[in-house]
Amino acid sequence: MIIRKIISLALIAPLLFLALYSHQEKNPEVQKPPADRHEPYNFVGRKGMVVAAHPLAAQAGLDMLKKRGNAIDAAVATAFALNACEPFASGIGGGGFMVIYLAQQKKVTVINFREKAPRQAYPEMFMIEGETKEELRRTHGLAVAVPGALAGWSYALEKYGTRNLSEVTQRAIEIAEKGFKVSQTFSAINKDEYEKLYQNAGEQSCYLNQGLPYESGDIFRNPDLAQTLRIIASKGSEEFYKGEIARKIIRAVKEKSGIITLEDLALYKPLEQQPLKGTYKDYTLFTINPPSSGGLHIVQLLNIAENWPLKEWGQNTVSYIHHFSEALRFVFADRARYLGDPEFISIPLEELISKKYAASIASQIKPDRTLDSYPHGDFDEKANKKESTTHLSVVDEQGNIVSLTQSINYFFGTGIVPENTGFLLNNQMADFSQDPLSSNAARSERRPVSSMGPLILFKEDKPYLVLGSPGGTRIFPSLTQIILNIIEFGMSLDEAIEAPRFFTYSVQGKPKNLHLESRIPSSIIQALESMGHKPIVRQAFDKYFGGAQGILISQEEKILFGGADSRRDGFGAGY
Amino acid sequence: MKKVLTTTFIAFFCCSLFAQNQMDENLLLFEQPILITSAGQSADVQLASVLAKRAGLEATLSKLATAEELENIKTVALVIGASLKGMGTAGLDVSEEKKRVNLLIEKAQEKNIPILCLHLGGEARRGQLSDEFITAFLPYAQMAFVLKSGNKDGLFTTICGENNIPLIEVDKTIDALEPLRQAFKIKLKIMSRRVPITMLQVLHNNSAMSTY
Repeated sequence: MIIRKIISLALIAPLLFLALYSHQEKNPEVQKPPADRHEPYNFVGRKGMVVAAHPLAAQAGLDMLKKRGNAIDAAVATAFALNACEPFASGIGGGGFMVIYLAQQKKVTVINFREKAPRQAYPEMFMIEGETKEELRRTHGLAVAVPGALAGWSYALEKYGTRNLSEVTQRAIEIAEKGFKVSQTFSAINKDEYEKLYQNAGEQSCYLNQGLPYESGDIFRNPDLAQTLRIIASKGSEEFYKGEIARKIIRAVKEKSGIITLEDLALYKPLEQQPLKGTYKDYTLFTINPPSSGGLHIVQLLNIAENWPLKEWGQNTVSYIHHFSEALRFVFADRARYLGDPEFISIPLEELISKKYAASIASQIKPDRTLDSYPHGDFDEKANKKESTTHLSVVDEQGNIVSLTQSINYFFGTGIVPENTGFLLNNQMADFSQDPLSSNAARSERRPVSSMGPLILFKEDKPYLVLGSPGGTRIFPSLTQIILNIIEFGMSLDEAIEAPRFFTYSVQGKPKNLHLESRIPSSIIQALESMGHKPIVRQAFDKYFGGAQGILISQEEKILFGGADSRRDGFGAGY
Repeated sequence: MKKVLTTTFIAFFCCSLFAQNQMDENLLLFEQPILITSAGQSADVQLASVLAKRAGLEATLSKLATAEELENIKTVALVIGASLKGMGTAGLDVSEEKKRVNLLIEKAQEKNIPILCLHLGGEARRGQLSDEFITAFLPYAQMAFVLKSGNKDGLFTTICGENNIPLIEVDKTIDALEPLRQAFKIKLKIMSRRVPITMLQVLHNNSAMSTY
């Protein structure tokens, strides 16, 4: 009996192997990561690659690449698809930033489609009797900033793409209409934001399942969004900013006592800008300028890290976490002091990203204890130089690249859905400072400070790493940790993404708690505590730390490696 | 089959409680009105409030309920699940939140008000911090409802088993509706935890029980 079983197994095993192998050969782009989604896994492609926060979105981008669309077409198709399958993190009701590399021209450019404050905005708009009301910043009509996503995507498509809106919305419409199985990530976030959705979107909204949160495995459909996207595909983005959709947005916002007007929507324009350039040893980084603080602080942190013997310390050791945390507290002091919309205020960018300033911060950090306070840099005011979230990375066959991060701010934004449109409006006004005297106070037509940091890293003048992440103020610390994991600690892209993370910050120069994933050994956490850090241990893979999506380009092997973060539902698709 | 299971559960529950009645004069009831509060400030407390509303139960939601709010209350529904964000919004740290819940439970016990524990967040509402709240407060419950995915490791089964707490496991949140309704509808006397209930019934409930 046993012998017969062994013989059967011996016959079946090679057949199974052959079947699987031949399937992979026929469909090389269909790559299945391990059952344990946290196990590091690099997606592989040779011609093109899309990495995004949902498998369906990544597939939508890949389909566009295979239809000979370029990286910009694929990025916009992926962005639309994310609106359908990851609606809690981004969509046409939000905004963001896009870094584009055009291989032929060897040019890097940035499209800023960050939301803007309505013209009637003013610094004290969230205050009642002198006190800031958090609900006004998060779930009220006042929380909604003028959305920029559709304007930004359309601009990118028209200027650098090869396809029209009708083509790039096709997969998103299918996803919204046919639906998909809700993941554990979706369900958990849906439950977290239940109160807001119940109050603002309503029991009948597609964002609740018969008035209750979705459970993992439920089917989520959004036919209203499919119809909205069809309208946009046929009438263009003007319909969103000046047509019937615009009127629906205004009605929904006004019902919740917001102040956006039709004119605010009609006036919205995305900006094309120069990238922010920084270096780390032999690498060159291109990222975004303010009003996002993310790019600037990644450059700052990498500059500071150049002063440390990182290889000697090792990854996530006491010395590494301590020094990085202290650096973060200095960086947050600069963020609070200087960041705002550069269209309206001056920011001492060159000083903040100088190697000299980084060395001065590094020299203030004590190796054995935390400091009592973390002052911001002291720079002269200069003449004005005008120069939540999801991330997707795309590389096409021609070598064009898009690194795109976008958001509706908090998960599910305000929870406000304009009538029968199926999309959520952002609460990006919450990204303005609560302090009316801050350089980032809410003011007419300003863009709030963001932490996004989509980037492209070059090695010997050739693109090497495309990376970005959601995660609020954890974005730039997480991205810097990933970059150092690769360059200094020799990790593969997805190992670097999945590695345990930590985060801290300072407020008014005073240190705040040190948040760490529970995979960091308790002996290290105890040692950090003895140095003065106040640890908060979070989940092993905590979405608090973001959900990075990246592509590593091996020029030597001519292979694209995709790394997708398992803290959310990241997925890669290459061919 | 599911109906049979439900009926069996209710009958078993009734018999068990009837048996207990003979043992103690200090009897408690799952009666209305209910005070719904959080233990850990997760958003699941709002969900419990909607469930109670749908079940037609008279309930007040007070995320930060204090002992003073127990006046005229007949049942405390404690929705367990920790959220640093929720506690931050409420202006509480973990120890302050635990202290608040402790005081509330203490007062509820003094007044012989039974405690119904709910864990509706599933697997995502587990982890070190939530588990601290579960282990600290679940033992005070007279009955517990848990989403099955939140009990994969059997933590709820263990604690409820050790403390003789009837545990209702459901696949989906909405599946808690009917057992919740039944827990109040049957109006059977149940014991205070100080007099251990000998019955432990785990009902693997499925969505067929739902009326929605």
